Amino acid sequence: MSRPVRVYVADNGGQWTHRIWRVLRELSCESKIIPNTTPVDQIGADALVLSGGAPRIAWESPKLGNCTDYLEYFQGPILGICVGLQLMAVYCGGKAGPSKVPEYGLAKIRVQEEDDLFKGLPKEFLVWESHNDEVKEARGFAMLAVSDNCSVQAAKHLKKPYYGVQFHPEVNNTEHGEEILKNFVDVVNESQCF
Amino acid sequence: MFNAEKFVEETVEELRDKISGKAVIGISGGVDSATAAILVNRAIGENLQCVLVDTGYMRKNEIENNKKTLKKLGLNVVVVDAKERFYEKLRGVVDPEQKRKIIGELFIRVFEEVARKENARFFVQGTIAPDWIESGGGLRDRIKSHHNVGGLPEKIEFEIVEPLRDLYKDEVRVVGKKLGLPQELYNRQPYPGPGLAVRIIGEASPDNVRIIREACAIVEEEVEKAVANNEMTKPWQFFAVLLPCKTVGVHGDVRAYGNTISVRAVESLDGMSAAYSKIPHPILEKISVRITNTMKDDVARVVYDVTNKPPGTIEYE
Repeated sequence: MSRPVRVYVADNGGQWTHRIWRVLRELSCESKIIPNTTPVDQIGADALVLSGGAPRIAWESPKLGNCTDYLEYFQGPILGICVGLQLMAVYCGGKAGPSKVPEYGLAKIRVQEEDDLFKGLPKEFLVWESHNDEVKEARGFAMLAVSDNCSVQAAKHLKKPYYGVQFHPEVNNTEHGEEILKNFVDVVNESQCF
Repeated sequence: MFNAEKFVEETVEELRDKISGKAVIGISGGVDSATAAILVNRAIGENLQCVLVDTGYMRKNEIENNKKTLKKLGLNVVVVDAKERFYEKLRGVVDPEQKRKIIGELFIRVFEEVARKENARFFVQGTIAPDWIESGGGLRDRIKSHHNVGGLPEKIEFEIVEPLRDLYKDEVRVVGKKLGLPQELYNRQPYPGPGLAVRIIGEASPDNVRIIREACAIVEEEVEKAVANNEMTKPWQFFAVLLPCKTVGVHGDVRAYGNTISVRAVESLDGMSAAYSKIPHPILEKISVRITNTMKDDVARVVYDVTNKPPGTIEYE
């Protein structure tokens, strides 16, 4: 690569948006936080992360700004975190809504399929969560990880370069969090080779 | 990786361009404001006046100790005793957000008075990323109004300068170390601007301050002793909180009825997420015995908080 990849963070108002930016910066990406109302043709990034945030997927999706546009028109890999993943699932014809048992703080996830995101990571590890909603149905996605109270902890679209996690890899207390984001950045790097 | 050297170089340059004439900085004795002060001091030297406000909500012996430490760093420090003003404004106030806003506003009024005297147009704060993230705005929900962001009044007389705005605590520590702060300062545990006022659930009255100040001192002393003896590692933050409920006890065959103290200790990197500290039980027991015995007239019970962040926050209000 002649230049670092540009991975920008679309801000959905999460407490940890700034942390995503920080970890990407530590992974030597060029990164910045952009409002989720940024028009897609003005982004100019190689890949996008859709941050988590307080908006509830079932009745506050207008607060997610242009994120649906990004899924429709953005050229490059997209990682959806928390509400970002939920929006991805809904956009692809699936469903998301309030969790029966919401998860806050510590949870254990079990990796079912390594795929790109979990390359080289253990089958079970501890993560940090903070969600009231979850994906109920994800059409066209492979399920990558589950926890006791949430059946879609991570997913990857079968055809498009869409990745999603319900937990928060950007949070320092999440085990292997930085490695998961690095695995995503590796995908971005590979996509630049074509 | 975060490059502290580059950050210092660029920030000092920017501050030199930005600040003309005199500036005032609100300084607490913590790592954020001390680091910000050294940066500005490098940029404008003698033109920086540091203001240490005695809010009445500082920890045991803190004002004198902090003043000494900061003066040793070559900073121009003035202490403003505003205890009575803070106690007066907070009388009868129990809502946590109201407390934080009253404190935020009063801080600014005190700084404005000094700025007027000094003829300074710039006011520096050691604001770091979690302060403005948690204060909310736009899409982001307000978790708590940090005194230096969400607690600011609408009308302010000077221009605010925040050189550490995009950094987290761990990065500030690296910058502080680079700038030559002593180890006990750059490694000092975080302490909230509103101080003991937000460690008293309920009214932050002088009498409640007396209780929580002593309990916090005991927690800090016992933990530091245990760390020095290699019985545990130093938590990221450790303190006591006065809960607004009384419980029954028995003291020498006599019924007691007193306050409850919660002991809180967490592990974190940047304060944005945290796990409760697994302090060994014998150390928790020492803390409990010492508090309930030496503070018998005020405290009947000690509990240990086992909540992570999320769902809890580190401080209680």
